[in-house]
Amino acid sequence: MLQHFDLKLHLQSTDYGNFLANEASPLTVSVIDDKLREKLVIEFQHIRNHAVEPLSTFLDYITYSYMIDNIILLITGTLHQRPISELIPKCHPLGSFDQMEAIHIAATPAELYNAVLVDTPLAPFFVDCISEQDLDEMNIEIIRNTLYKAYLEAFYKFCKETGGTTADVMCEILSFEADRRAFIITINSFGTELTKEDRSKLYPHCGKLYPDGLAALSKADDYEQVRAIAEYYAEYWTLFEGSGNNPGEKTLEDKFFEHEVKLNVNAFLQQFHFGVFYAYVKLKEQECRNIVWIAECVAQRHRAKIDNYIPIL
Amino acid sequence: MGSLFRCEEMTLCQLFLQSEAAYACVSELGELGLVQFRDLNPDVNSFQRKFVNEVRRCDEMERKLRFLEKEIKKDGIPMLDIGDNPEAPQPREMIDLEATFEKLENELKEVNTNAEALKKTYLELTELKHILRKTQAFFDEAEFHHAQMHDPSMQEESVTLLGEEGLRAGGQALKLGFVAGVVLRERLPSFERMLWRVCRGNVFLRQAEIDTPLEDPVSGDQVNKCVFIVFFQGEQLKSRVKKICEGFRATLYPCPETPADRREMSIGVMTRIEDLNTVLGQTTDHRHRVLVAAAKNIKNWFVKVRKIKAIYHTLNLFNLDVTQKCLISECWCAVCDLEKIQMALRRGTERSGSTVPSILNRMDSKETPPTYNRTNKFTRGFQNIVDAYGVASYREVNPAPYTIITFPFLFAVMFGDAGHGLIMALFGLWMVLKEKALSAQKSDNEIWNTFFNGRYIILLMGTFSIYTGLIYNDVFSKSLNIFGSSWNSPAMKELFPSHIQLNPASQYQGVPYPFGIDPVWQVAENKILFMNSYKMKVSVILGVSQMIFGVSLSLINHKYFKHPLNVICEFVPQIIFLLAIFGYLVLLIFAKWVTYDVSDSSCARSLLIMLINMFIFSYPTHPCYLSAMYNGQEGIQAILVILAIVCIPWMLFVKPFILRRQWLNRPHLMSSPKPADGAIDEGEVVHEDGTTRIEAGHEESEEGFNFGDVFIHQAIHTIEYCLGSISHTASYLRLWALSLAHAQLSEVLWTMVMKIGFVVPTWPGGIILYLIFAFWAGLTIGVLLIMEGLSAFLHALRLHWVEFQSKFYGGTGYMFSPFSFETILELASTEDK
Repeated sequence: MLQHFDLKLHLQSTDYGNFLANEASPLTVSVIDDKLREKLVIEFQHIRNHAVEPLSTFLDYITYSYMIDNIILLITGTLHQRPISELIPKCHPLGSFDQMEAIHIAATPAELYNAVLVDTPLAPFFVDCISEQDLDEMNIEIIRNTLYKAYLEAFYKFCKETGGTTADVMCEILSFEADRRAFIITINSFGTELTKEDRSKLYPHCGKLYPDGLAALSKADDYEQVRAIAEYYAEYWTLFEGSGNNPGEKTLEDKFFEHEVKLNVNAFLQQFHFGVFYAYVKLKEQECRNIVWIAECVAQRHRAKIDNYIPIL
Repeated sequence: MGSLFRCEEMTLCQLFLQSEAAYACVSELGELGLVQFRDLNPDVNSFQRKFVNEVRRCDEMERKLRFLEKEIKKDGIPMLDIGDNPEAPQPREMIDLEATFEKLENELKEVNTNAEALKKTYLELTELKHILRKTQAFFDEAEFHHAQMHDPSMQEESVTLLGEEGLRAGGQALKLGFVAGVVLRERLPSFERMLWRVCRGNVFLRQAEIDTPLEDPVSGDQVNKCVFIVFFQGEQLKSRVKKICEGFRATLYPCPETPADRREMSIGVMTRIEDLNTVLGQTTDHRHRVLVAAAKNIKNWFVKVRKIKAIYHTLNLFNLDVTQKCLISECWCAVCDLEKIQMALRRGTERSGSTVPSILNRMDSKETPPTYNRTNKFTRGFQNIVDAYGVASYREVNPAPYTIITFPFLFAVMFGDAGHGLIMALFGLWMVLKEKALSAQKSDNEIWNTFFNGRYIILLMGTFSIYTGLIYNDVFSKSLNIFGSSWNSPAMKELFPSHIQLNPASQYQGVPYPFGIDPVWQVAENKILFMNSYKMKVSVILGVSQMIFGVSLSLINHKYFKHPLNVICEFVPQIIFLLAIFGYLVLLIFAKWVTYDVSDSSCARSLLIMLINMFIFSYPTHPCYLSAMYNGQEGIQAILVILAIVCIPWMLFVKPFILRRQWLNRPHLMSSPKPADGAIDEGEVVHEDGTTRIEAGHEESEEGFNFGDVFIHQAIHTIEYCLGSISHTASYLRLWALSLAHAQLSEVLWTMVMKIGFVVPTWPGGIILYLIFAFWAGLTIGVLLIMEGLSAFLHALRLHWVEFQSKFYGGTGYMFSPFSFETILELASTEDK
């Protein structure tokens, strides 16, 4: 635990300041993680409390993605017979809502919608999922992706309507997000029972891949074909090109993260738009992930991998 | 010592401390607060240093203390701050301290968990109590309805449909299950909605608010809750309802069905609550005792821990020698403090019981030492005024001692009103007299602290304002006629003269008023004319004198630093330039005052035009106020102008070219290995580890001579001085402008506000005057004293920083910041707030 003290010392000289000063040693990674998250949440809430329309809606949109994650986490948890009290602390506080804890009463998506989600801002996103029969692992994954698709499209639309620099910056970021999901869904679906039609329903339609790329993706059968599709898109091709699973190479996921960071950092290059708030939250989150990664590496004495975080430049 | 006129002579010292004595020695030095340590391991990370573990332990102790402090504050126990200053404990005591804190923390934590558990039970019992009480009401109500519904069914002959239904409902009611519980009030609406949705309206919910807020055992907050009771039918609904309750963090309690059981239970609950109350009381008492005991010592502990931490931080700056037997450190200290430091080291060594003494060696260094001005509570404020502009370069003339007089004086010239000055002086005096009591209060109000720290400045400013106010004969915009006016105007005989125009030809009695301005001017029509001429001239005289004084101080600097070249090429032309133009002007002012009287005042020479004409060599003979003032004026003025103009190239060219020649003619033997020589000189103390560190400042002596740089620098300097002396003289006119503004403002306040109070002659006038006076006094304090005072302060500050100090002050030094427990503790205590 000696090393975590060094981490604490280092963080003391940054913006994080004394946020760990009142923690009893030994510091564990989870304590650091919690504190980092707590700080982010406090900062976000502060911004949210001072926001007026349309920024407040924009900020609410940011929280929706955390709500989706929380819902999925809770449903999966209940599916595995975990008590709800054990799951709640794992939820992201940015995405918590009143009815969240009662989610386990729902046995079917329709029930989930009628009982829990109908009062939440997520209700309009959920309409497409009601047809699913029951909640098994596959369906949960489908629900997650459908929700996410609806959410991304709605957020994209909202940013477009806001217009101006916000639209320029946010549409860029959101379309990347949409395309990344499309790629990842495709790659992860290989070897599962997800049919190609079902898969194509999950692709968000607000990215640069829409419509041709998505059509091609829905027909892809293996990783090489996905790669071939990405070749048509210069900015994605560079990501695919530089990635690999061999040691020393960066994974595709990391490449995506790096690109996301780049887009978010670019958001700060323009003025008078809301994109900075989104970018701020996302970058802060990435920073937290990096700190936690380093803390993990320190804890497990994995010095070699300590540099594998996503640099924020 | 003469340390007020320049900063202390500093020296770099090397300290050899035995490892076992180092701690005690540093502790002694920290109490002394006269030594500034240098970081000898600047490239070592903060966590790779030698004593990082000890620092961590201190951090940990501080954390525990903060926890204790938080708990003490939560209970509102006063913390004793007797301001004692315990010595830094020995390193071995650190373990005791750690153990004490550990024990206290654990004890508190245990008590807290106990209390929390107890409070939780208490909360549950209270909730149960409320449930029993409220549900009783529900059931009573239900019973009543029941009875009502049964009534019609009793009358068999008129069985209605409603009655049938009522009967059925009554029949079913017996089979209805129910759960009762408590939920947060703000969650109730969504809870109710969800119940409805999930159970498709097949439940019946009754709720009632609990009037008294309950305490949340974890956070200690007061929360409002609601009692609810849900009726439903069947097992499936029951499980759903229970799940929803769980989801909304509602606590469910068993509630017996029959009234008798309920009554029995509520009696049981009441007795348990009472038992619990006593136990809870005992726990709080225990906690209170522990905290009270801790509160007595906590400030003391904080001081101790912070001292230990500061010592280890300092030790981390030290170097370890090869044998690991002793620590080497380098520090700056004042030469005259060496004795004290030696004594402290000896004390430290004795205390640690080490046999080998600690050694203090003076070192030679080419590095610029820090600037250390020793101050006391009186000079500190003035030194701060100077330092705010820039810390004096090492050993240059310190303007602070002159500022002590000139600053309040120039302020007073602008603020000149004896009444306002008196109030200000009294305020300053009050702060000075109550000094101890006020500083013990340790207010964290920034504005108050600013005033309080400047109390001596305020006192002097007030006193000087009384003096200038008397000279201007201005007390709250009225005059004092102490010695009797020396004017005799017919209008003065009237009680309320409407119109007094003073004419010195006929009305002046020939003997001037003994002190200050004659009071009759205050009511005269031509007052402004008279005062303006006087104040304007005084401003110029004061300004030119102060600038000449500033230039003279630069002579002292040049002599001290042994720059004869600067004396000849800077000081001499500068002083000639200033004297030739503005010194001459001042002379003329005095001459004009002395030579003209009312008989020839129409021919009194206009000095401004004369100064301008002097430069364009134009000497008109008429009108008479433009003609020559004395014989030979043309010749003398021409010489002065030529002198002043000659000074400009003198300042500009001479120095750079002489420097250049010196550089070209320097002996060309410099290429021989001189640096090694320097290293030996510097290495008077032999570094046994063989790394002879060459000081950073060493390099610059061998730097090349860049003529362009030197020349441009000189050009800037010259232009700045020449233009500056003109614009600065003009700038001193602010003395006149502000004093005029102040006098006019206070007069306006008197005529526009206070006079209203005098218009009603009978008794209601007294009441009006009473109110008006309050208004007038408020405005006097708010506008004239505070706002005008701040503005005059600011202008006095500017006159010192720009007009005065630019003549001689480099201000490129850096502050001596000694390692002192006092400052460290002060800093920590302000951070706490």
